[in-house]
Amino acid sequence: MILDLSADAKEYGKQALRAFEAAGGDQLVQQAEAKPDLRETLAGPVLSELGAWELDPRTDADGLEAAAALCRSAGYWALPYPVAERLAKPTDLDVDGLIVVADNRPSGVVVGLGSEWAAVSLDGARSRVVGQGAAGPGFVAELELSAIDGNAAADIALGLVLPCWTLLGMLDRAIELTVAHVSLRKQFGQPLSSFQGVQFQLTDAEVERSGLDVLAKYALWSIGADRPEAVDDALALRMSAIEAAEIVFRVCHQLHGAVGFCDETTLSWLSRYSQPLRRLPSGLSATRDLLARRAGGHGLTGLYA
Amino acid sequence: MTADFDEFRATVRAWCAEHVPADWRRQQTGASDEEFVRFQKTWFAKLHSAGYAVPHWPREWGGGLSVPEQIVLYQELAAHDAPRLVLAFVGIHHAASTLLAAGTEEQRRRHLPAILDGEIWVQGFSEPEAGSDLASLRTSARRVGDSYIVNGQKLWASGGMHADWCLLLARTDPDAPKRKGISYFLLDMTTPGVEVRPIRNAIGDSHFCEIFLNDVQIPAANLVGAENAGWQVAQATLGAERGMTMLELAERLGNAGFRWLVQGCPLDDPIVLDRLAQFETEITGLRGLAREVVERTEHRTAGPADASIVKLYYSELLQRMTDFGSEIGGLAAHTQLTKPMSSGWESGAWVLDFIGSWEWTIPGGSSEIQRTIIAERGLGLPREPSVV
Repeated sequence: MILDLSADAKEYGKQALRAFEAAGGDQLVQQAEAKPDLRETLAGPVLSELGAWELDPRTDADGLEAAAALCRSAGYWALPYPVAERLAKPTDLDVDGLIVVADNRPSGVVVGLGSEWAAVSLDGARSRVVGQGAAGPGFVAELELSAIDGNAAADIALGLVLPCWTLLGMLDRAIELTVAHVSLRKQFGQPLSSFQGVQFQLTDAEVERSGLDVLAKYALWSIGADRPEAVDDALALRMSAIEAAEIVFRVCHQLHGAVGFCDETTLSWLSRYSQPLRRLPSGLSATRDLLARRAGGHGLTGLYA
Repeated sequence: MTADFDEFRATVRAWCAEHVPADWRRQQTGASDEEFVRFQKTWFAKLHSAGYAVPHWPREWGGGLSVPEQIVLYQELAAHDAPRLVLAFVGIHHAASTLLAAGTEEQRRRHLPAILDGEIWVQGFSEPEAGSDLASLRTSARRVGDSYIVNGQKLWASGGMHADWCLLLARTDPDAPKRKGISYFLLDMTTPGVEVRPIRNAIGDSHFCEIFLNDVQIPAANLVGAENAGWQVAQATLGAERGMTMLELAERLGNAGFRWLVQGCPLDDPIVLDRLAQFETEITGLRGLAREVVERTEHRTAGPADASIVKLYYSELLQRMTDFGSEIGGLAAHTQLTKPMSSGWESGAWVLDFIGSWEWTIPGGSSEIQRTIIAERGLGLPREPSVV
């Protein structure tokens, strides 16, 4: 079992972070929110330059790790582009990407993009996206689907795991921003960071983020090693990612104070654009329920099997 | 108290049945700012004509219900899911209690009847560098003849764009220790030099504002209490009304709030039932706590941390409950991004309610500040080292 990314993948992630920053950094999501039609123009070129679409996460172990690192870097900047969904595209269909959807009101972050999408439901039914509903917040629109087949176990695991890496990148950033904020912000004549009550909240958030970090690597390994329980691991990761996101964003917002809810701060944007990742295809209860039904009888194989 | 107040309860109940607009939630969903203000003013006038708008004020100023009657009133308004007095809130609570406790007779005569006629107030306390550490505020007020000239910036003034008047804290003695150089003013928001800028927040709403003050002239007659005694005035009046307003909120959470939650829940799921039972228990605890603070305040036996305990308990429970509401509501809850205006903190539009619930753990003394108060004043624990 490998619980770390290769040096190459890590280096690729770092390069991606710098490239996204050079392409506009935090401005990108703000520009895309104002004009969703610009999403492709804003993010497409930098992703192509990074060679994102040459990565092969399905058959190449290095490609899988690089894809995960790229998603994490995209999350860090709340890149207004479905990088994970594009990287998860099935190889046997003529589409640009894959979206994991719930049976009820299938939705995806497709607003403003011209890409062709496939969708896979959590019970393994694959379909083609043939239309989309009105644009909602966070670039989300409901999807109109046309059934293809029911052969999709590999699609589900990859389609669930990569967006968790995006979310992980958002949590990395949220904590970084909050550490910076409490170090800078002074009240009662000293930085907020010098109060132990503040430190302990941040450490709780960091513990959650670290737990997610290692689970994300485990679930990725499970896919790469073609483990039979990869979908269970992906669901466990998703559950952990949602829980961690709740705690991390809760702490980060609390410690930012009111300003964290204002669009002057990056946290406000990150928090808003973390929502689709946390809610789609299923929120915490539904994910937990699904995992319990799938793994309830035999349990997760786990790290020490 | 129940038997003694049965008659009053029946009266309020009958009034609510007749006057609470049946479709106010629908009317106020997606309402414009103007419609919201009009609705709030009409509802205030209706309550006032029944004697229910300012029940906590002294009789001579238009109030005069006893504390037990006020409890009954708020219970019944909550049970009937009446609209809340959102717009008038600062006026009828903070402004009125400040004027009654520390204002001059002239100030009371000028403003208390005006509040009953719909004068809207905003609180101008926080500043960019003075949040939790409010006493470090920098907005300055310099005495020139019969006036003060005020310069500075105020932040998080909720509803600032609708306000006619502002409760303003400003520094009148820059050399005094920080709590001893602050004065309390009544500021007419139409004074030249006052500029209000709404702040767009994470849900695209702009109800809190920045107020910029550039050479704003405030007549010395609008000083409340003595010069440089503003901190004491603010301390004395901020906590005074917290008991009853918390009781109102606790009743709301226990009535409409819990009902919305139950209605949206799959009740055949044992895990959901378990969570609901937990919430019901906690709400019952909250209602008891709020009631106790009100009664202790009336009998002058309230402890120094009582109000902080209720605020902390309410705000964190509200956050958990609204979070659970959005979890249970599924995708539908997450795409419903309009809530009825004039509703409480638990409107049933759970995602917005959850985000709104942060207004409870951050402003008005953040949860960290409440914990510090409970530790130091309630439990008598030592102050945090090196805090100045």
